[in-house]
Amino acid sequence: MSLALLILLPFGSSLLLGMLYLFTSLRSERLYALIGVGAPLLISLIALWLGYGQLQGAESLHVSLFTWLSIDALRIEFALSFDHLSAVMMAFVSVIGTLIHLFAVGYMRGDAGFGKFFAYFNFFMGAMALLVLADNPIILFIGWELVGLASYLLIGFYHRESANVTAANKAFIANRVGDFGFIMALVLLFGAVGEGGFSFSAIEAQIYSVDHALLSLIGVLLFVGAMGKSAQIPLYVWLPDAMAGPTPVSALIHAATMVTAGVYMVARFDFLYVLIPAVGLFIAVIGILSALLSALIATMQSDIKKILAYSTMSQLGYMFVAVGLGAYGAGIFHVFTHAFFKALLFMGVGAVIIALHHEQNIFKMGGLRRFMPLVFYPMLIATLALSGVAPFAGFFSKDAILAAAVASEYPLFGVLGLVVAFLTAYYMMRLLLLVFVAPAKHRHTSLHVSPYLSLPLLPLALGSAVAGFWGMGGAYGGGDALTHFLSLSDYAHHLTHKSEYLLALLSNLIAFAGFALAYRRFASGAREPQPTALFERWILERFYVDALYHALLVVPLRRISLWCERIVDDRFVDGTLGLFSGGYRTLATHFSTLQNGNVRHYALYFLSGVSLLSLLLLWRL
Amino acid sequence: MDTVLSWIIFMPLLGMALGGVLRASLNLLRLLAFGSSLLVLALALALAWHFDADAGMQFVMIAPWIKSYGVTYYVGVDAFSLILVLIIALLMPLLYLYMYREARHGYWYLMMALQTGVMGAALSLDLMLFYLFWETMLLPVFIMIGRYGSNNHPFYAMKLLVMTVFGSMAMLLSILYMGYGFYAEHGFWSFALSDLAQDSHGALVAAGFLLAFAIKIPLPLFHTWMAGSYGSAPTPAVVIMSSVMAKLGAYGLWRFGFSLFEGSLHHFEPYLIALALFGLLFFALHAVMERDLRRMFAYSSGSHLSLIALGIMIQNHYGLSGALYLIATHALASAGIFLMIGLIFARVRTLEIAQLGGIAQSAPKFAFFFAFFALCIAGVPGTGGFVAELLIIIGAFEYGLATGVLAATTILAAILFIFWMLQRVLFGPQSRQTEGFVDLGAREVAMLAPLVLLLLLSGIAPNLFTPLFEPSLALMLGGRP
Repeated sequence: MSLALLILLPFGSSLLLGMLYLFTSLRSERLYALIGVGAPLLISLIALWLGYGQLQGAESLHVSLFTWLSIDALRIEFALSFDHLSAVMMAFVSVIGTLIHLFAVGYMRGDAGFGKFFAYFNFFMGAMALLVLADNPIILFIGWELVGLASYLLIGFYHRESANVTAANKAFIANRVGDFGFIMALVLLFGAVGEGGFSFSAIEAQIYSVDHALLSLIGVLLFVGAMGKSAQIPLYVWLPDAMAGPTPVSALIHAATMVTAGVYMVARFDFLYVLIPAVGLFIAVIGILSALLSALIATMQSDIKKILAYSTMSQLGYMFVAVGLGAYGAGIFHVFTHAFFKALLFMGVGAVIIALHHEQNIFKMGGLRRFMPLVFYPMLIATLALSGVAPFAGFFSKDAILAAAVASEYPLFGVLGLVVAFLTAYYMMRLLLLVFVAPAKHRHTSLHVSPYLSLPLLPLALGSAVAGFWGMGGAYGGGDALTHFLSLSDYAHHLTHKSEYLLALLSNLIAFAGFALAYRRFASGAREPQPTALFERWILERFYVDALYHALLVVPLRRISLWCERIVDDRFVDGTLGLFSGGYRTLATHFSTLQNGNVRHYALYFLSGVSLLSLLLLWRL
Repeated sequence: MDTVLSWIIFMPLLGMALGGVLRASLNLLRLLAFGSSLLVLALALALAWHFDADAGMQFVMIAPWIKSYGVTYYVGVDAFSLILVLIIALLMPLLYLYMYREARHGYWYLMMALQTGVMGAALSLDLMLFYLFWETMLLPVFIMIGRYGSNNHPFYAMKLLVMTVFGSMAMLLSILYMGYGFYAEHGFWSFALSDLAQDSHGALVAAGFLLAFAIKIPLPLFHTWMAGSYGSAPTPAVVIMSSVMAKLGAYGLWRFGFSLFEGSLHHFEPYLIALALFGLLFFALHAVMERDLRRMFAYSSGSHLSLIALGIMIQNHYGLSGALYLIATHALASAGIFLMIGLIFARVRTLEIAQLGGIAQSAPKFAFFFAFFALCIAGVPGTGGFVAELLIIIGAFEYGLATGVLAATTILAAILFIFWMLQRVLFGPQSRQTEGFVDLGAREVAMLAPLVLLLLLSGIAPNLFTPLFEPSLALMLGGRP
């Protein structure tokens, strides 16, 4: 029952908030905040309690609430399960979610849509819980689409600005394109194994009977879904634009939780991907390319949230490299640590944006360290963690991924991963320096930061510093505790301890090289980059991908639509019909000339009629 | 109990006659309309309650009508027609709620006549009777467009009439031909479906029926009456056209296609499936650049009806149950969206999308309901539309890989236009027309809330509804080789 509460509480509170907002004139922020933060707080307590039970070795929980649909062989239970993987996901989603809800109370203060915001936000929590706890792929897909819906609603939260709604549309449409693949994968999978039940465990039991080619197709199509949700090439274009939403949304949905759903899904289907390593390799290639591309773009951006958005996409790329190469534990490990520091970074940035009255250009900031130390130091920790500096959280998880990449058959993944690590350190230090350290470009002399905005950063800073110890590898005296706890079907190779130390040294050196370069260029302030070289312009214009999509998809779509109306309908169908009605009319005109009232003509008709009849009679006789 | 279907069919006609005889005032007329529709709703619910999902045709009533030609009054209900009965019975009171302030008497009379027409068509089991109701339901719509419509309505009323009557004439010829064939073989006349189904009929006879249904649904290339009629008809007529009459076309395909033309339908099957798949995308693409809100959703409706036709034509368990489910959920969702489009028109006197915008700013309730119905049409999970689309996609994949892939595009089809439409209608800055757009009142919420609740329920717990038709499908498919 407590499992059902994990879903019911957030959905129920969302419904309550929505009803209050729509149908009453109650606008007390305190009430909305109480309900809005209360639900995630409760579910994090439940999730932690249940997760603790799992840590202690309790059986994984299953609960079937009701039969969702039963048609012929298709039997879908509305069932939830709480195993080790969902325990880890649920615990960090709910805890970080609660902190971000708390942050949002401060961030959204005074906004006319305060109640609506928390209705959407809790709706998201419910959908995410459904996605994580689902016991079969169909229910997972429902959660999967509902988090997308929440994301759409929240990106377009300030809907007066048409640009925000465009960004929301883009997010939903890109996700739906991915889901097109996802749903085909599910249906094909159902066709292959569905007769014997469609829960994850039932699928796992029968997966060996599926033809290898079909399995590969299913694996690729599933990953197409992940490309959309987790913003990988080529469906990533929505994520940077999604920053149009309020900053808590970016922190929760577009950094810490929803976007990692793709990685979660691949890990959930580990039993399937284990059988098709070639598809895994494809995933890893897409992952590393996405990581590289977005890290490159991030180095040239000047919008503070977009830098973080590209950074998220780049870290997601790392995670896909891990799960693609069969290091599922490492992938989820990075999902876990990344949630802490990326949520922290977004929330810190949110505090900065609020303090500077919605300024988002880092080249117009500077010197904020003095005004907001409670934001700066947590962000510093998060930056170190994100850049993979030992012993912060990101170091251990990123190192696990790099180790798996180096040990794989294609060490090139490792090399490229290190390049991304360098770029990451560079763009993050660039951000931190320009915002907090470089000489100020604004005239504020004192800036207020509400405790709602700064206090939630502290637990996250603690997490960013120490969360990595849970999954620390054998080389550092840990025992891969997280990976063992998850017990996914990892097949990645391991490095020897010696090479692992070497790799760690290398990656830390590289991170510091990135820091040093950023320090040299930005510590004393810099002007907004004016691209000169062709390559720089390409990066700044994000490789013209948006323009390309517009020209290749949007414009032809509109052309075809008009063509349907003008050519198919008007010319072809109605034109053909017109032949009949028009032809009928012409025929009538021809006949009407015969009926002209001229007696001579009538006499002629009469005469020819009689002659014809006589001829006929003669001939018959 | 035998007469319950007749009460369901003729109650509104009775109300109409009573109103006419008494020369009813507007208030009385309103009372008659509401009263008859609520009674029908109560009877329909009782019918569903007593309906035995494991038995086939029930509540049958046969009475001789034109004895010399064996034409009978023959009605009965099975799972498929029950769904239609419930939809019609539920929608009519909501439509009356919508037209509560309508002062033109004729409007009310026509709506009551329309209800009898569609209900009769859904329940008739004698082909002559079916034909009678099939034409009866067209006339009120024709008059409503012609008299109460807008946007070049006389022309579109005529176009609707000519195109659909062309189809039904073809059907009438087929009916007569079959009836004569039956007489020639057995020595007595009958037009009962169960009798005629014993003989096998040729492809040309089937084509007559198919033409009528293809135009009514409409399938692409038979559709050019649709957008114009939807665009110029008054809202209640649009709702009936898209939620009920179009579905009756699909119903006919099922009811008569399967029992009368099993063999010859097989002959048309690949073409019909290709046409339905084409329609799915064609209508959706068509909707993208449509400038008028009602015409846009006419095409959206067309796209979903093609999907329904597809589900029926692939003739497997998932496809058929998906088609049935989509008939119900799409009826509810499109009723919701067309009612709300009517509300927009009543408030700002235009449906030109370019002149709308920013409605969400001053009317959050309106925006919520409107977006809900739109998302439902887009098949977002949690609403019934998703369940139906999922089932049809599964069925299509079972039929063939290519069919499956094309059918799966339905989850892309609606989003091509829905989100852009929402952006231009609900969001962004307010236009001159939508400034101070009035939010939904209590009556309007009461009209839309049942639709929302049902759509949510059908999406969250579809298993509440599927047992209604699942056994008869199993029976029907199991009984066939």
